[in-house]
Amino acid sequence: MPDSKPIDPIHPELPTPGSDEVSLLIDGRPIVVKKGTNVLEAAARLGVQVPYYCYHPGLSVAGNCRMCLIEIEKVPKLQIGCATPSTQGMSVKTNTERVLESRQGIMEFLLINHPLDCPICDQAGECGLQQYSAEHGRGFSRFEEEKEHDAKREAIGRDVTFDAERCIKCTRCVRFCDEISQSHELGLFERSDHSIIGTFPGRPLDNPYSGNTVDICPVGALTWTPFRFKARVWFLKNTPSVCAACARGCNIEVAVYKNRIQRLTPRENMEVNRYWMCDAGRSSYEEIAARPRLDRPRVRTGGEAPCAASWDDALEGAAELLKGIVSRHGTKATAAIVSARLTTEDLYVARRTLVDAIGIPRIAVPPHEEGEDDDLLIRRDKTPNARGAELIGLGRPDAGRIKEIAGDVLAGRVRGLVVIGEDPLGDGLLADSALDSLEALIVVDRSVTRTVEVAHVALPSRAWGEVEGTYVNCEGRVQRTRAALRPENESEPVWRVLSDLGRRFGRPSEYASAAHVFDEIVEGQPAFEGLSHKVLGRLGAPVKVE
Amino acid sequence: MASEPLLLKNVGIADSWTIDSYLKSGGYEGLKRVLREFEPEAFATEVKNAGLRGRGGAGFPTGVKWGFLPKNKDKPRYLCVNADESEPGTFKDRLLIEENPHLVLEGIIASCFAIECHTAFFYIRGEFHKGYRIFKRAVEEAYEKGLLGKNIQKSGFDLDVILYRGAGAYICGEETALLESLEGKRGLPRLKPPFPALVGLYGCPTIINNVETLANVTLIAERGAEWYASLGRPPKNTGPKLYCVSGHVKKPGVYEAELGIPLMELINERAGGMLHADRPLKAVVPGGSSMKILPASKCDVLMDFDSLMEAGSMLGSAGVMVMDSGTCMVQALLNLARFYAHESCGQCTPCREGTGWLVKILERLESGNGAESDVDLLSDVARKVEGHTICPFGEAIAWPVQSYAAVFRDEYLEHVKRRGCPVGGPSLV
Repeated sequence: MPDSKPIDPIHPELPTPGSDEVSLLIDGRPIVVKKGTNVLEAAARLGVQVPYYCYHPGLSVAGNCRMCLIEIEKVPKLQIGCATPSTQGMSVKTNTERVLESRQGIMEFLLINHPLDCPICDQAGECGLQQYSAEHGRGFSRFEEEKEHDAKREAIGRDVTFDAERCIKCTRCVRFCDEISQSHELGLFERSDHSIIGTFPGRPLDNPYSGNTVDICPVGALTWTPFRFKARVWFLKNTPSVCAACARGCNIEVAVYKNRIQRLTPRENMEVNRYWMCDAGRSSYEEIAARPRLDRPRVRTGGEAPCAASWDDALEGAAELLKGIVSRHGTKATAAIVSARLTTEDLYVARRTLVDAIGIPRIAVPPHEEGEDDDLLIRRDKTPNARGAELIGLGRPDAGRIKEIAGDVLAGRVRGLVVIGEDPLGDGLLADSALDSLEALIVVDRSVTRTVEVAHVALPSRAWGEVEGTYVNCEGRVQRTRAALRPENESEPVWRVLSDLGRRFGRPSEYASAAHVFDEIVEGQPAFEGLSHKVLGRLGAPVKVE
Repeated sequence: MASEPLLLKNVGIADSWTIDSYLKSGGYEGLKRVLREFEPEAFATEVKNAGLRGRGGAGFPTGVKWGFLPKNKDKPRYLCVNADESEPGTFKDRLLIEENPHLVLEGIIASCFAIECHTAFFYIRGEFHKGYRIFKRAVEEAYEKGLLGKNIQKSGFDLDVILYRGAGAYICGEETALLESLEGKRGLPRLKPPFPALVGLYGCPTIINNVETLANVTLIAERGAEWYASLGRPPKNTGPKLYCVSGHVKKPGVYEAELGIPLMELINERAGGMLHADRPLKAVVPGGSSMKILPASKCDVLMDFDSLMEAGSMLGSAGVMVMDSGTCMVQALLNLARFYAHESCGQCTPCREGTGWLVKILERLESGNGAESDVDLLSDVARKVEGHTICPFGEAIAWPVQSYAAVFRDEYLEHVKRRGCPVGGPSLV
């Protein structure tokens, strides 16, 4: 390479870097990194973990915790790795006696005024202080004095609780509010060992992203109030998944204990949400859990109250009702409302069954919009799979089409309506009087909605968190949502319900799993060409742009 | 040693702080000479040749510091005058500001000319009410006389001086905390690099100089580098120096002498000797509270940068704190440690946590509840702070702790053995 730097005379073993790279030694091992890479990241590339608290790759460098002190050849003082860019020919040592001793010193300082209340601290098990004191600490304290005391259990924001005594003043939360949410609620106040993170008078921490301060808090100082004392983190089973609260599709971990979701936390995906998620998404599981589940199929005849039925009886009943309408009025008297909250697999099988098998001519996807898109993550479109619905051929969410169908129902032109994952009655899209002219209202839903209550046949579907499948986010990225929960009722995935219904209209019931459905989508839909679960991995992959 | 006062020339004469009084004694002639005879870079070289070392504490050569400014001038450059004098035992800048403000201002203008800077900020300690009023008046007078503003003395050189008052934090004397404070933020030291000469105030190249340093620039402007470099102990310790003598002496105060005056001459001849005839000298802190202490046996030393370094301390801000045999060294250190624990900005771990811990150990020792191991613990805690902090505050607490505990180790152990203070005197606990 003509423009590369000459090989360093002191360290001839260093590889020649490219024009935008530098090569350096870390603990004697050579590595080539991009210019500007800090020493921490360079070391991590070699599997050398230099401990740190205040550094966060998504935030500016504060350099205040001093845990990542390292030794650099020909530099007299120890330097902090987070604020030290890799330079050509530099030799970094992360494990000399001097480094280890300083690290132990910092660890000791961090703990002298820390309450050591791990047994009652929610952070225990995922706490930087616990981890590093085990790895780098002295094992006992030389501090015999009274600790400094400070505010406990302070409701610092809508959903965040603050324990000032546990805080190590790394200011990650402050920098998050300054740089990412740009809401500037937090600051560092007071001085010396009285210094304390706090809010300004009359301005609590309640930006739409406040929960991220809890995630990035390396200790138990900031806790997510709804999660406090819910479960020890080592009992949590984490499943990588995707948030369904809006069209962004933030990558998340779903933490489950005793078959209940305990919390949602963001999972790093630099193409989608980086390290963050919004509070609405973080809390979205509560709303799902709060609504009464439709736990088994129901059938209602005449003006009677709905009765529980077996899957076979319910599906048979639904098929007969629809067949009757088709034979009496033709397929033009049928319509369907399908939700963009369903997975791509659900939507695909919905199309195959409703359009291809039954012959329903009109399908509408209702929009669910609220607020505005912001500059960070939040989207006005509150459905996770509007792009998926469009790519599968069900069209974009369209309020006009719903109105049209609603009008035709009222006018008696539509006699059979299939509703999947939507509540048009509860949402006011369909008037109660519409029921008078409907001969068949077939509803597939996870909850007992108003529409479910009046349906002729109601079929229970699995909820988000119980299903496997994919969503296509607002930027056309296909991402997998995963089953984290075990269903505790008779519900089935929507794709299976519709596949079973399709069989009654002469289609073979050919899918063994959602993955199987996805394979068929990939084969038949050009936008999905080349994708597979393997290609999607944990981070998803973009669809082909037309 | 020449006894002609240079920095304190006007001090003591009537209305010494007014421009009329200053002009009468030949003031601003140096500046006029510089504007007339020098190119900016040539005057910067003149200051470098004079060997002037910063009077704020670190003793870094001023001309070399100026040389760190980037060569290109796509951004404005700033001079920040550090008038946030807060080091315990140090009160020389206050005297200059109150009694001889135009000497300082003339140095500011000459320095700005040298570094091609057109806006200077005068960051003055908030508690200096009188100094602020006087310096503000001095700046106004300079504008009236055409020594500030546009086209100074028809030289084509423009300069504005802006005064800014600190809000009362020791840490704002640290140059990058000063910049933060000046920008209207909490005074927390910045990570270095980048150094202020490249990225300073508002992200622009910035030089931060101490008040006394700039007063010395006036002397160089007036009489040239060669003359200046002959004062003191050339080649590395040149020029006059203000020494602040406090503690157990008969006449505490600010004394001017050339660099290299013997410490004992300063104490015995200038400051009138020890306060109590029956209490001999026990120790001296030669350079402000952050510097290492010298026991009486080591006080036969010259008061300049390099001699004190050799003796195991530093000239620092030349705050000479004299302690007699009636002083308890645990109490003295506790007093200092409390100051540092109070003033630690709280930003980085070792200083934030370590300073408070040191106080607690010292309180225990002084009250008779200490253990022998506490003496080593003090030194070790200080060692864990030293060199590990964002700014030199870490050293400022570590050095005194390490030196007091080492030099007066027996006295510390005596506190343990006797379960209390062997010296007595007013207890701080």
